[in-house]
Amino acid sequence: MAQKIKIDPVTRIEGHLGVTVEIENGKVKDAWSEGNMFRGLEVLLKGRDPRDASYVTDRVCGVCSGSHNWASALALDDAFGADVPDAGRLVRNLILGAMWLHDHPLHFYHLSALDYIDVMAVAKYKGNDPGLKAVRSKIVKLVQAGDTAPLTPRYAPDEWNVSDPELVTTAVAHYLQCLEIQAKAKRMAALLGGKIPHNASIVVGGTTMYPTMQTLDAYRGILAEVAAFVKNVYVKDVVTFGTGPLLKLATSNVGVSGLNYLSYGGFQNSSSKDDMLLPAGAILGNLGSIEKVDPEAITEHVAYSWYDGDAALQPAQGETAVNRDKDKAYSFIKAPRYQDKAMEVGPLARMLVAQNETLMGLVEKGVKPGAVARHAARALETLTIVDGVTKWLDELTGMVGKGDVKIHDDSKWNVPDSSTGKGLTEAPRGALGHWINIKGGKIENYQLVVPGTWNMSPRDKNNVRGPMEQALIGAPVPDAKNPNNVVRIIRSFDPCISCAVHIIEPKTNEILKFQIG
Amino acid sequence: MGLLEELAAKQIERRDFVKFCAAVSAVFGMPKAFAKDIAFAAEAATKKPAVIWLEGQDCAGCSESFLATLNPSLAELLLGTISLRYHETVMAGAGAVAEEARLKTMEEGGYVLVVEGSIPAADDRFCTVGGKSFKEVLTETAKNAAVIIAAGSCATFNGGIPGASPSKGRGVAYFIKDKPIINLPTCPVKPARLVATIMYYLASGKAPAMDKLNRPLAFYGELLHDNCPRRGQFEAGHFLQDWNDPAQRDYCLLLKGCKGPKTYTDCAKVWWNEGANWCIGAGAPCAGCSQPEFYGGFSPLYDKQDIFNGVGKSVNIDTAGKALVGVAAVGAVVHGAGRLVLGNKDKK
Ligand code: SF4
Ligand code: SF4
Repeated sequence: MAQKIKIDPVTRIEGHLGVTVEIENGKVKDAWSEGNMFRGLEVLLKGRDPRDASYVTDRVCGVCSGSHNWASALALDDAFGADVPDAGRLVRNLILGAMWLHDHPLHFYHLSALDYIDVMAVAKYKGNDPGLKAVRSKIVKLVQAGDTAPLTPRYAPDEWNVSDPELVTTAVAHYLQCLEIQAKAKRMAALLGGKIPHNASIVVGGTTMYPTMQTLDAYRGILAEVAAFVKNVYVKDVVTFGTGPLLKLATSNVGVSGLNYLSYGGFQNSSSKDDMLLPAGAILGNLGSIEKVDPEAITEHVAYSWYDGDAALQPAQGETAVNRDKDKAYSFIKAPRYQDKAMEVGPLARMLVAQNETLMGLVEKGVKPGAVARHAARALETLTIVDGVTKWLDELTGMVGKGDVKIHDDSKWNVPDSSTGKGLTEAPRGALGHWINIKGGKIENYQLVVPGTWNMSPRDKNNVRGPMEQALIGAPVPDAKNPNNVVRIIRSFDPCISCAVHIIEPKTNEILKFQIG
Repeated sequence: MGLLEELAAKQIERRDFVKFCAAVSAVFGMPKAFAKDIAFAAEAATKKPAVIWLEGQDCAGCSESFLATLNPSLAELLLGTISLRYHETVMAGAGAVAEEARLKTMEEGGYVLVVEGSIPAADDRFCTVGGKSFKEVLTETAKNAAVIIAAGSCATFNGGIPGASPSKGRGVAYFIKDKPIINLPTCPVKPARLVATIMYYLASGKAPAMDKLNRPLAFYGELLHDNCPRRGQFEAGHFLQDWNDPAQRDYCLLLKGCKGPKTYTDCAKVWWNEGANWCIGAGAPCAGCSQPEFYGGFSPLYDKQDIFNGVGKSVNIDTAGKALVGVAAVGAVVHGAGRLVLGNKDKK
């Protein structure tokens, strides 16, 4: 008999998300995702000075901090006709690059790893490594004191949980080490951004931060440490787990979405707008074939969302008129579609679009583009970012050495009377677009289409489910009290819900059979 | 020294902790001996003090800011010092497992409650967690809390950025009237302030000395403008006009919208991310994020504001006298400086 369970709140993600799954014969038969918060940032921007948009939208998300700020600045650059000078572009890249170096490892260790390891196996560690022994005594001490928060409570481990004491203890040691590394990566971004999260220095036309040799040297110092962690610890752990204890999960279909992927491209490498570190492209069902992205093919459906109407509108024409009584609707998240297709966005999409050699090799060997592959893609992408950041840092250092530093197009600082602009880029969680209309020197309309909306979207008017809903279907849930695979799949998308939700209200009318953790 | 060795060498762990306690007491201007009290109080407690961290209309930026704590090490803080029972972004459990952890801690009582994000005043249903309105979650969790720390601009005063939206986000004090609330505004919360405030409370059992807006005087006692390294440029009438000009790099940011003359914070002295940098250090105007006017009352952010008419109304009442004297002087200087700027323009 089918049984519905609801997980709310889904923890270790950004924002408030609830997910309902229907389980039949130990497998997920159907899935619905819903967000639970309304802040109305798009609405509050109406009538304001357009330059405020990059500051305000930075606060859409504190985790991929800077990404919205960046997308917004790109939209404003477009609307103001600003030409960001090279040093300004490089400073932006270095702030964002550092943020990605913070975000990806944090996602793996702090937001996801606890889904895959049985932390308490640490107590059984028998080896002699002094570092690992210290971790063991730390955890044992917590257990003896009867207080293991925040590592507990949690779901009971299932067949996929790794319980080898050596592996688990190493992972916990790296979890602790990464607490420090992610904080240092933020510090690196703050050197050029002023503060993190919520950097202060990215504005329309470029940046306000005039870099000095001293700042760049400090940046370089931290980069060396973070890069070493990425290469020697993070990527190694992902490989060890993915090709070892989690290989069976990696080669299963657990968490595969609809095989459509989208990347707008991100991190402009040179003064040419098409030269991106992370390339743009769309994949429509065939992993080997990359198509050019046509922004005109993006629409937002609202058939199953609590908004008026049924029309699938272009983001620039987007509306957010709430209709809580709408028939069939079950989410306040809109459903963006590309050529009417539900597209997965994020590291897996980007690395597939980039045809990353290692990832394609894994796919050839039978790894499916599911939950484990998303973690692998994220790790491989982190390596790409390390390379990019190193190159940009060298370039900027050269400019500062020559005293040839232009960071801002000040000729375009004044607000145009009327104009439109769009900023398409990539956030750690996927394709991110901002659209702005300016009229009478004020914001007339502001719309965001964010990674969380792509991935977490509800069904569209053609009844096509969103990528995460698709990915959940078929996931084995042998014990409904411990839906480990469900949260693994959800978290592999690295959901960021506060940005996905334009307007959200609580669910008040649906009675679920029962509600569990 | 790496974390692992740190964890291995117990002695050092303890020494670091005492050093940290000394830093906490220094932050609050307490005598050296107080550091020992803190260390003692923390050690004497048989159990680690429980902390519940709630997120309302937030972006998790304050959580991320807390996770940017490097000193003391975050691992020591999370595993050795406090017992973080409920925190959506960090905890292992999800759904009902997470809710149970919160309910159990609530039964025990006496915990520190940290609130991040605002509470929608327009409609309770604009923010729900686990099927309940956030207002309800907050009210029930506040009941048995020993102290409430409102972390960041959204949880304080008029709700920061969500405060300017149709959801009418508001700070904790709008809803909870019968408990001590310590306000720690800025967007996001400054991690050192948060950690120091938690430690101070744990050791002394009371809130630190605060201003009328319930902000600890140790952090919010002085006007940013009074301590700004660019103050000399301000006095000289040097205002940044072009971010590209190396000669203007350290000029005052008033004409770019700086709210420093209205903003109470130690940002000029205590920089962000363990001293890496701060807004004005990065050439960006202060947005006034520690003030009740943030954001709506301070928009537009990048235009010079008419700061001199409004200052009297917005200042921290405790220091209003001093500020007003300062404001009169400031007004005179800016008046002159403004002419200087215009004069330069005319010559072009
Ligand atoms: S106006 Fe701002 S930049 Fe200028 S001196 Fe005051 S605080 Fe510093
Ligand atoms: S300098 Fe101003 S805007 Fe920046 S953190 Fe401090 S109070 Fe907020």
